[in-house]
Amino acid sequence: MTDNYGFEEVPLASLRPGTTVLVAGPSHAGTRHLAFRMLSGPPDEGAILVSTNQRAGRIADDWARSGFDLDADRAAILDCVGDDDQNVPAQVLSVSGPSDLTGIGMRYSDVYRTFRESGVERVRTGLFSVSTLLSFGDLQTVSRFVHTLVGRIDAVDGIGVFCIDPGMHDEQTVSTITQFCSARIDVRETDTGQQLRARGVPDQPREWVDFDVSE
Amino acid sequence: MILCVGPETPARERTAAALADAGFDVAEAGSLAAARDALDAHAVECVVTEYDLDDGTGLDLVEAARERHPDAACVLFTATPLAEVDTGAFGSLVAEYVRKDGEHGELVDVVEHALAFRSQTAYPLPDDEGARVAALEQYAADPAELGASLDRLTELATALFGVDAAAVGIIDAHTEEFLSCHGISFDTMDREDTVCTYAILDDGVTVIEDVQADPRFEDDEGLAAANIRFYASAPLVTPDGQAIGTFCIYDDEPRGFDGRDRELLSLLGDEAMEQLSLRRRVRDAGGDGDD
Repeated sequence: MTDNYGFEEVPLASLRPGTTVLVAGPSHAGTRHLAFRMLSGPPDEGAILVSTNQRAGRIADDWARSGFDLDADRAAILDCVGDDDQNVPAQVLSVSGPSDLTGIGMRYSDVYRTFRESGVERVRTGLFSVSTLLSFGDLQTVSRFVHTLVGRIDAVDGIGVFCIDPGMHDEQTVSTITQFCSARIDVRETDTGQQLRARGVPDQPREWVDFDVSE
Repeated sequence: MILCVGPETPARERTAAALADAGFDVAEAGSLAAARDALDAHAVECVVTEYDLDDGTGLDLVEAARERHPDAACVLFTATPLAEVDTGAFGSLVAEYVRKDGEHGELVDVVEHALAFRSQTAYPLPDDEGARVAALEQYAADPAELGASLDRLTELATALFGVDAAAVGIIDAHTEEFLSCHGISFDTMDREDTVCTYAILDDGVTVIEDVQADPRFEDDEGLAAANIRFYASAPLVTPDGQAIGTFCIYDDEPRGFDGRDRELLSLLGDEAMEQLSLRRRVRDAGGDGDD
């Protein structure tokens, strides 16, 4: 059994390998920055980010601004927008579009294997975001994709950080996607700043807690 | 049963042998056409296929597999680089990809995990799905045997709630089988096409006031064809807490369902479960159970 995955500068208990967390919040900076932080592990860990609506160069910039030191040996971006980005400090794999869930899943498996072959055993996986996939595909198709990816992450003892904007979907949709994930973090904005509340995370208080991911 | 497909016999046989060594039942096919026949002939739970089949591609096969066995785990096991795999036309299939390099360890790991956790289903599973299915087997019932007692309950339910139809369904690993239907006739249905699949994830009674306004079912042609607009169900729960099926009611108009209705539907669910439990006890005691 490998060690839990920890988080720096985020008030969140470490996660057991195999866990996928649905991060549910408005798709503004707070939710995304929290997800970037959760995706950014220590130097011996890899990260694979599936970007459904931002090309690799832009999401790499955002990710770097959240404090992550991108490096092609340990960071990969699956770019569903398809533009060829030069000079991105990560492996960039193009997928024909966010409706090609088969292509996303297969490239994910392939790049994960590349990491493992180069000695990177621990991998964090980001999916930014489930909401885009739902706007291009029906719930059942996206469900199968999410279920398969969650299963893959579990099989290799990684962790998953999947973003969804609950304001874009009805309750049954969000609840169905939540049912595939082992934990969920809700994010909200208050007058004083950002707050998160976790469900299904051992050793984590179930109340709202403040967090600050300003750059 | 795992269906192992590839045009080159020695390579396919090696893959099939590796899967058989891991303890799986394996059938082989050398072409897309032969694989389609095998899908019809066997209860295929997993497809492991090369990409290039002489009469089509592995993704054509995955598409056929999902039509015939929607829950099947599908794995493309190929030396063909991903750049040459045309996923765009098959974007909604979703399948695993394992690069073929002469070893079978990764393939066996992927197949074992996908089958143990059933991770390619298009619907969520209860947390303890394995225990649930195991519990279900103990309550296996012959609909002909149970018919009369459950038929009385479904008929009473339609009159009690003033709805079109009522049914008692058992949800096994991949399908829902109906032990009784009143006012409607259901054949065995794939689990991904039934509302009850989602209902057994809820605690207690599930009410969907307008099925066609629910994103989980808005594309479900079977429900639309049966003109199902309102759905409510109570789970059939074993003494160990496993929901093995539902007592459900349907109507062709959206409607409300109040607290008292929920209580009454729960009672009907409990009564149906009691019938199943009694049959099980009779069978365990050595009776023939068809009295």
